[in-house]
Amino acid sequence: MIPTQSIWLRLIAALFALTLVAAACGDDDPDEQPATDAPDTTSEPAATGDAEPADEEPDGESATDVAEPADDVAEPVDEEPAEAAEPADVGEITVGVLVPLTGELGEFGKIVADAIEFGVGEINAAGGTRCGTIRTVVADTGGDAETGIREATNMIESEGAVAVMGPTSGVMVALVDLAHREEVVIMSPYAGTINLNELGGNFVYRTVSSDLGDGAASGLWLSSRGYESVAFLIQNEESTISPAEVARDEVSGSGIEITDFIVYNPGQPSYQAELTTVLANNPDAIFLAGGQESGVTVIKEAVAGGFEGEWLFTADLAVPEIFDAVGAELINDKAFVEFADADPSLPEFIAFEERYDKAGDPFAPNSFDMITLVALSLEAADSCNGAGINSVIRGVAHSDGAEVSTFAEGRDILASGGAINYEGASGPLVFDESGTVSGAYTIQQAINGEWVNVEFYPASTFDG
Amino acid sequence: MLLLQFFVSGVATGCFLILATIGFSLTRRVEGFLNIAHAELLGVSAFTTWWLNSHHGWHVLAAAVAAIAFTALVGLGIARVVYDPIRHREPAVLLITSTGVAFVIGGALHGLIGTGIRTLDIGLAQRYEAFGLRVTSHQLIVVGLAAAVSVSLAVFLNRTRTGLAIRAMAVNPELAASRGVNLSATSRATWLLSSGLAGLAGVMLAMLATLTTDLAFAQILQILAVAILAGLGSLYAVILSGLLVGVAMDVSAYWIPAGYRPLVAFAVVIVVLLFRPAGLAGTRSA
Repeated sequence: MIPTQSIWLRLIAALFALTLVAAACGDDDPDEQPATDAPDTTSEPAATGDAEPADEEPDGESATDVAEPADDVAEPVDEEPAEAAEPADVGEITVGVLVPLTGELGEFGKIVADAIEFGVGEINAAGGTRCGTIRTVVADTGGDAETGIREATNMIESEGAVAVMGPTSGVMVALVDLAHREEVVIMSPYAGTINLNELGGNFVYRTVSSDLGDGAASGLWLSSRGYESVAFLIQNEESTISPAEVARDEVSGSGIEITDFIVYNPGQPSYQAELTTVLANNPDAIFLAGGQESGVTVIKEAVAGGFEGEWLFTADLAVPEIFDAVGAELINDKAFVEFADADPSLPEFIAFEERYDKAGDPFAPNSFDMITLVALSLEAADSCNGAGINSVIRGVAHSDGAEVSTFAEGRDILASGGAINYEGASGPLVFDESGTVSGAYTIQQAINGEWVNVEFYPASTFDG
Repeated sequence: MLLLQFFVSGVATGCFLILATIGFSLTRRVEGFLNIAHAELLGVSAFTTWWLNSHHGWHVLAAAVAAIAFTALVGLGIARVVYDPIRHREPAVLLITSTGVAFVIGGALHGLIGTGIRTLDIGLAQRYEAFGLRVTSHQLIVVGLAAAVSVSLAVFLNRTRTGLAIRAMAVNPELAASRGVNLSATSRATWLLSSGLAGLAGVMLAMLATLTTDLAFAQILQILAVAILAGLGSLYAVILSGLLVGVAMDVSAYWIPAGYRPLVAFAVVIVVLLFRPAGLAGTRSA
């Protein structure tokens, strides 16, 4: 027998076990703050009309999120329109910011949260909506659907959120039922999943196009480069496979040889097995639709294995960190990246860029448009809740009314009884039946350790 | 020739699996439970190596040695604080506790490291070609270390007093104690050794892969596959098992899509267990 452990060791073990039990039980108690990695940032409502966006930025390291739950938060649901028509007494209205601040997509989540906070700052500086100034409640999903459902439920049922913005594809799909059941609008600036082509449209919207559009743009770019052969390396996820299939059809339709179409699983120490046939076939280019973890390893191993051709990456790799992780010298001049983007020539984008110094970050304009659309919908709706937003958002985004690009402009026209057509910083926002907008796409090239724009495909490129 | 290239890749994959599993199997034999937290120890080592190498500019070798030592101590500390007080309980209790430990380590890594990807500050792997086959310097390092660890462990377990005590304790702790084996000290030596081996595998993970805080735990299924395939018998079966799974996974990509590689790993386990229910090495033995 092992000698009996000392008392202090037992005490520490008991403490450890209690910690585990507490951690396991914590999330089940709706009265307790969930112990997530979410940020502690919720912008304090700018009741004084302060024009600055929230001072704090999501740091992804603290527990949940919220600003002080205000006692005077507007009743989000089941409110009679007649009561909601007098919002002046209400003071605040809550929207949820549900983004991945940790995990592989954390960089994107922070961009989205920051851009939303900027939009909230502008809206509140203009006096807020007729339902009150906007108060945000931020939570981290880590990209996990289960966490997303838990945090969204908390936002809606405990915090009274009338809209939840910012989920990634998997989380967004998981929230569709909740959105319908709670009658709360769910919006995403980057959830391109084709599942939403079927599920979206009622309480579920996105200010980005479907992934199928990315596939078309990628296919168009690959077909225009004069390649004779292209290999496809695709991470095993629906959001990468579907667009890759669209790109493959476009490329093969152009008479280019597809040497490989390999679907791989992420989370591996090495991808040598997947690269074996690709390197043996030595294509002119590799289309790599993968995440940062797998993508960086694939790039390094392919170059180490002798691949000297060009690359086309998808949006997950469109971040500056890739140059440090891979080594800029390996991809400079040879690598391109494709992602849904705002049209930089649009006056609405230029105006946004002048006001927001991070306007060029991926999905920042789409995120700004999301919160502005929600605020304008609150102005136009009969009630200060998700059902109200849902009933008018399509008309706010696109109508024969006056074109506006800021909340203040739209609010004034709506107040005078006019109709508005919101022209977003990310482009014209016309929701189709699935609540999806048509998209424009940018191709950037790796030049001297930076991503530089080399091609832009406006939405009209893909019409018809 | 393409098939042979897949085989070469499979040998390297198998050698990484050997490094990742051999400490896990040692714990399983001596302590009698599946230590799910073993995979997270790979993460502790990988991120310690990254922190010292990329953050503080240490040479990768110095960072690796420090990370292995640190991981060994972390593993020993966890064993003393968490597992020792409950080691008389059923293996299932220890297994569930180890799952909790894995979550605690994973959460701590998440909190300390944060979001995004991390890579070591080392050069690109060199490529060597012979007889039409390609191999990289990183693959050679993994294969060489797996061979060195296997030989060293064999020598240690057969030629040293502590090694013999570990083997005796694995077979029959009561009998070993009655013959003068200090079970407490032997247990500590086992945890140090198995956690240090996890540390070595973590360094290899950091060298080969692009690190995220989820990556280490993602290896647990393949570690389990290799350990179960090896069985409770000789530790040398882990070497055979690792190579078998690694080669089967990679060579299968010659015929079937690479996305099915994990499926192939478990198909190998199922097929072998159909014929040898106790695994490649059979039941517990010296």
